[in-house]
Amino acid sequence: MIRAALPTAALLWSLAGCAASPPLAAGLPAGASRSIELGSTPFFAQEEYQCGPAALATLLRASGIAILPPELTPQVYVPGRRGSLQAELIGAARRHGRLPYVLAPDGGDLVAELSEGRPVLVLQNLRVTRWPRWHYAVLIGYDADRNVAILRSGTRERIEMRWQKFARTWHLGGRWAITTLKPGVVPEHADAARYIEAAAGLEAAGRRAEAQVAYDAAIARWPEAALAWLGRGNVAYGDGKLDAAAESYLRAVELAPGNAAARNNLAQVLADANCLAEARVQLARAATLAAGTALAAAVAESLAKIESLPPAATGCRFPGRAWTD
Amino acid sequence: MRLEKLQRACVALVSVSFLMLGMQMPAAASVIGTAEAIAAGSQTDSLATVRAAVSRDDVRARLAELGVDAIQLDGRLAALSEAELAMLADRLDEAPAGGDALAVIGIVFLVLMILEFTGVIDIFKKQ
Repeated sequence: MIRAALPTAALLWSLAGCAASPPLAAGLPAGASRSIELGSTPFFAQEEYQCGPAALATLLRASGIAILPPELTPQVYVPGRRGSLQAELIGAARRHGRLPYVLAPDGGDLVAELSEGRPVLVLQNLRVTRWPRWHYAVLIGYDADRNVAILRSGTRERIEMRWQKFARTWHLGGRWAITTLKPGVVPEHADAARYIEAAAGLEAAGRRAEAQVAYDAAIARWPEAALAWLGRGNVAYGDGKLDAAAESYLRAVELAPGNAAARNNLAQVLADANCLAEARVQLARAATLAAGTALAAAVAESLAKIESLPPAATGCRFPGRAWTD
Repeated sequence: MRLEKLQRACVALVSVSFLMLGMQMPAAASVIGTAEAIAAGSQTDSLATVRAAVSRDDVRARLAELGVDAIQLDGRLAALSEAELAMLADRLDEAPAGGDALAVIGIVFLVLMILEFTGVIDIFKKQ
């Protein structure tokens, strides 16, 4: 009887789309170690439905934040969903001064991040697409020779999961993985757009000090990234540093003359510096660029504000300075 | 006489305060956030950004319904970008919510049960 069951089980398996995933050794990037285990990664056994706080606390601890899962529960847990949402894990990491970097959706980034000594928080779907069971675990290593992923997961401090099984659950979870970086640390494998978006998240969450460090690191790595300069300008502007903001916005406009936000923000800082004529030039360009986009309303608002300003009592703060056209 | 003066002063004071209520602060400039600029850069996200103000209230209301403590809501919402809020406003009820790992055994067991009941295997047979 059991012999007859094997082909049936194999058929069910392949029908579920489980047959295609290759073993780890076949997909390991050139130059990567055959095996890694970040054994010093802390472990917190999860309480019922609390894998989000447990996994996030594991990452934050590993990045130097003294925190326990119960402190994270009120920041991420949604009782009615019996779980935690990805966006809120990201938000909570920001609240603790870390930069949540969303890895590229391929195994190469997982391996690269482990190679740099940082554990990775992954979303797994332990069942099937139609009938999901979402779970967060922390990937702390792998072994290509034994073809396993090594995880801190749920109530188990260390589990080895066959690589294909791990890959399948991660694939069904949308291939989502994050790492929580100290601001200023830019992973070797990092992608400029992903990193700058993560820094912008810190800015949006009001963590200006951390955002500033992250933008500075981004500019050191990618000096031509206009959005990093826009971000640096926004942080300076928020801190009331008009000169620094103006220089950063100008650099952003030079690098990306078609960026409406950079021109709008340059115009704002020029208006604050009583350079109204120069501000109007930038805003006119911004209005043309923003037409039909989500930024149109914000630019229109800036225009209305500048038109309502009384003539400047004092002269322009940057006399004779040429701003890019 | 003195009372009348006092009354006038009061009326004047109240009127001025009412006038000031309606007045805007002189052009406190606001800049476009970097996250907002990034979201506007991709066509799919731009609509989401427009609805961001609405999204924040929607997400707040829905999270409260789902049992999130009211005093936590401000801090939680403040940690999210507008694009993230817009995404949650659209998909909060379907978005993955990681909770437990315990069900892996469940599906294996379920498959075994189906195979057992359909007579393919008989591992649960009593001796």
